[in-house]
Amino acid sequence: MAHKCTKCGREFADGSIKILKGCPSCGGNKFLYIRNTDLHKDVLEEKSVETIAAETKEEIMEIKPEIHSEVDIYDRIESIRVLNPGSYELNIEKLAESDELVVRVGNEEQYIVDILSMSKSKKKRKPNDK
Amino acid sequence: MNFFVRTRKKLSKILKAFFRKRQSRIGIYGPPNAGKTTLSNRIVRDWTGDVVGPVSEIPHETRRARRKEGIVISNSNGNTLTIDIVDTPGVTTKIDYKEFMEYGLEKEEAIKRAREATEGVAEAMHWLREDIDGVIYMLDSTQDPFTQVNIMLVGIIESRKLPVLIVANKNDLPDAAPNRIRSAFPQHPVISISGLEGNNVEELYEKMLDYFG
Repeated sequence: MAHKCTKCGREFADGSIKILKGCPSCGGNKFLYIRNTDLHKDVLEEKSVETIAAETKEEIMEIKPEIHSEVDIYDRIESIRVLNPGSYELNIEKLAESDELVVRVGNEEQYIVDILSMSKSKKKRKPNDK
Repeated sequence: MNFFVRTRKKLSKILKAFFRKRQSRIGIYGPPNAGKTTLSNRIVRDWTGDVVGPVSEIPHETRRARRKEGIVISNSNGNTLTIDIVDTPGVTTKIDYKEFMEYGLEKEEAIKRAREATEGVAEAMHWLREDIDGVIYMLDSTQDPFTQVNIMLVGIIESRKLPVLIVANKNDLPDAAPNRIRSAFPQHPVISISGLEGNNVEELYEKMLDYFG
């Protein structure tokens, strides 16, 4: 069954992934299930989306877009995420824990594990080092 | 420099390293552009006449930790304290080269700065773990202190049981609100200063003697 944005009336094909982050036109996050026979009904019959919803008694689905709060950065396993060359997200808690580096590249689950940084001896540095 | 002078210098350096009591090493931490290097420069200039590093309005000017050793701070009561000052790169969770381009840097230069700044944060955190005995946590008092980075980083410092002095910097600016910082971190002493103008740095030195001595 197709979806219709309850805010602006834009229609989307069944299972369209476009609505997963809210309506691309108005940002609305409530969508009405509509039968294919009811497509464009609001325009053709000058009905509001509410009226169609009341008439068809179909469910309204609410999309909850993923909340990207800054908090989740500290649940990550990587110490540094490279989004693009020159754009980084740093997990300061991980960096404070140890020198062992796990780098995540891009938004895919691709990781680079710096084995060398993990094999270093735990010997305390002399004050004159560096 | 001739050979003997060089050898003597080297030898005395080695001997010093052996016999010197380890001084407390004070790290100046905080978000980018809080004025860490300006304060380090002031401390070092006030007590040794030297400087630590260059400052600029572009964030992440300091991308390597810089250390100045053996700074002797004293007060009129005759109390003295010898410390090493470590000026660290600004700690943040996001670094994007585009931010630097807004300050007029070319793309290539901005990307290079972003890479170095990222390494700098890792280095700052490394120092915190390995080599720091006390922290001056520096905040820009014209900015909101309740950020994720500040709360996180102060938490990390507390969990390492390091003494922390919080400095509310830039009190020379009209919209400075040091009390906001006081209410954000009531568990630590907060000193309101201007690293640039030198306002109230004497109080900071007194507190340092008290706290890190």
